[in-house]
Amino acid sequence: MRSTILEYEISKVVEMAKEGKRLDGRKADEMRKLTIETGFAGNAEGSARVRLGETEVVAGLKMLTGVPYPDSPNEGSISIGAELLPLANPDYESGPPSMVEVEIGRVVDRGIRESKAIDFSKLCIREGELSWIGFIDFYAINSDGNIFDAGAIAALLCFMQGKIPKLDEKDKIIKGEFTGKLELKRLPILTTFVKVGGTILLDPTYIEEKAAEARFSVSTTEDGFMAAMQKGIGGSFKAGEIDEMIEKAFEVGKGVRAKISKL
Amino acid sequence: MKEVVVPGQIVSEDRKKLGSNVYVANGRIYSKVLGITDTEGEYANVVPLNGLYMPVQDDAVIGIVSRVVFAGFGIDMNSFATSFIPKSAMREELRVGDVISAKVSYVNELREADLDFARKMQGGEIIEVTPVRVPRLIGKNASMLELLKSGTGANIIIGKNGRVWARDGDIGLLKELVSFIEANSYKSHLTSTIEEMLKKKKKLK
Amino acid sequence: MSKKGEEIPDYKKDKKRVDGRKMDELRPLSIKVGVIPNANGSAYVEWGQNKVYATVYGPREALPKHTQNPFKAVVKATYRMAAFSVPDRKNPRPNRRDQEISKVLSEALEKSVFVEQFPNTEISVFVEVIDSNAGSRVACLVAASVAMADAGIPMRDLISATGVGKAFNEIILDLNKEEEDAPDAVDVPLGILPNSDEIVLLQMDGLLTKEEWKKVIALGIKGCKQVYEIQKNALKEKFELGNVSESDDSGNALEKKKETGKKMKEEKGKEKIKERSEKEKKVKK
Repeated sequence: MRSTILEYEISKVVEMAKEGKRLDGRKADEMRKLTIETGFAGNAEGSARVRLGETEVVAGLKMLTGVPYPDSPNEGSISIGAELLPLANPDYESGPPSMVEVEIGRVVDRGIRESKAIDFSKLCIREGELSWIGFIDFYAINSDGNIFDAGAIAALLCFMQGKIPKLDEKDKIIKGEFTGKLELKRLPILTTFVKVGGTILLDPTYIEEKAAEARFSVSTTEDGFMAAMQKGIGGSFKAGEIDEMIEKAFEVGKGVRAKISKL
Repeated sequence: MKEVVVPGQIVSEDRKKLGSNVYVANGRIYSKVLGITDTEGEYANVVPLNGLYMPVQDDAVIGIVSRVVFAGFGIDMNSFATSFIPKSAMREELRVGDVISAKVSYVNELREADLDFARKMQGGEIIEVTPVRVPRLIGKNASMLELLKSGTGANIIIGKNGRVWARDGDIGLLKELVSFIEANSYKSHLTSTIEEMLKKKKKLK
Repeated sequence: MSKKGEEIPDYKKDKKRVDGRKMDELRPLSIKVGVIPNANGSAYVEWGQNKVYATVYGPREALPKHTQNPFKAVVKATYRMAAFSVPDRKNPRPNRRDQEISKVLSEALEKSVFVEQFPNTEISVFVEVIDSNAGSRVACLVAASVAMADAGIPMRDLISATGVGKAFNEIILDLNKEEEDAPDAVDVPLGILPNSDEIVLLQMDGLLTKEEWKKVIALGIKGCKQVYEIQKNALKEKFELGNVSESDDSGNALEKKKETGKKMKEEKGKEKIKERSEKEKKVKK
């Protein structure tokens, strides 16, 4: 039902974007209001609820033990997955992970993994035998676009809390007891843009994503690195446009980092 | 007395005729919905807080073309069933996303609506409202609608299905007024309140 | 109630449970209505450590077409748990337990709805558990019923639900995880239509005598009634907040009304709720 009104609004969004305007009155390079809440899930080793405008995402971290990969016997690892719950949007359907969900999960995963924020060697318990794997699962609860950035912030917040459970002599996790915390060397922030009617828009809403010709995400760190990029959807960007977006992403990253590092 | 009730709550202990959104069990009248009671007349009614549009014959509606097939057009009515207009009944070609105004000519037992007098709307904007609150936007003898028209200078068509189509005039002001009416739809004297608001904004003399 | 009331066990006053509760005491329960803007109706419930979201979409066209029923709407509930909502990470894929709970929730909810008003449609209910500690399915049913009312779906009654059962040789209300893991634990998820006390959800795991069962069901129904009051108040609160001002005839501008109106209303709303519940008590007498 809502999808029809969307069709109608999409053409409106494109028309407005051509003049640099947006349906919700924001400027093209303006982000929606970000609110964060942490530690709600008593069963998780870290949890966060992130709202970006009307988009709401919840995320949680579970620390599990496993055998290290043969090519990196002295390292642990992380795994991040996204789910767009049918709860969150009338267009979402139940079922196995869709391509869209896989892409969101992987972009968020790379944005954190490749920034080397987490020292995987510190997640090793016994070389070649046992290491920690940090599983983050995040869920769209209400989806009004840009699950990428909301999910990335939520995942990062989970790692920032990251409690490491205590093991008994049989290597089983002792519930409710912890030996320490994960250390983060950097705080990589993912920033996503779309191109609508030739105009670049920061932090797109659901309708803007539907109206988009192309999408670009970049993960930036406080010490001037970019950790991961992803261009998505059919359309294209000029190199100059990418430069512009990177410039803006560093600025956005700074603001978001200031907000989350207070916690 | 007007009261807020939840589904299953007693609306009236008295013997009254059954109005809308109520049911009878064990000789008592209960509410079917979350809403506000209206039992002053001979009927026991509950005005719901929320709810889908249920088409009724002769309703004026604003539809959006959701599908184009060989024989005609599927029309999204903001209801759970899509309506259909045969190509023979339309003078203009329609495309997906086009807005039409129409009248409900017939509703069948599956609550699917047939449409009549369909007309394509050129330009303009759609403001969405909760369908159950549309009557307040129209007012007694269309008094509210007339006030909105003269106050904002806009062309306005109100669809019973929770869509207001408007063009020209002060659309921003119209949106503000519509959301005010929606939020205050249980208050009396709404028309005079809106009149006051418009006077303060010097939109009315 | 009067006859059943006699079955409610008489506890010694000083006896306390593992978490300090009385035998017939619920864990803290709070309900927020309309938390998910995309949905037709929604609710967020925190009940002890349990945290669940519920949304309702529809009635909407049931797809694929063969699932349609020309005489009534199909109520389809989907129960899921977030991977991090349990002590050991849950496999994100729905398991047999998820499917069974989805089924019993759907069936319970269907009983409360005037489904014949919406032929060929589906009323989709999604519940997501993001933190849990025994009793997540009843928390979901409580949330789902409130979300349905929020969506404006015509209903016979709300559904109120609670866990009830036995642990450490006592008949107790709303078991927590520690109690559920007791050697003699019996867990009974119970859901009722509070007007008629009709039972719409009932499961049981564990060993129980007939005498104990009578106590369990009486205590469960008593617990459901407490839950019902919280559900009712949450819905009414949403109603009051959704309708900005109270005063009828003032010509004040919107801005001014918003400020003063809210406070007045909150108080008025509380009074109204009080009046109403007192009235109901009288009716029952």
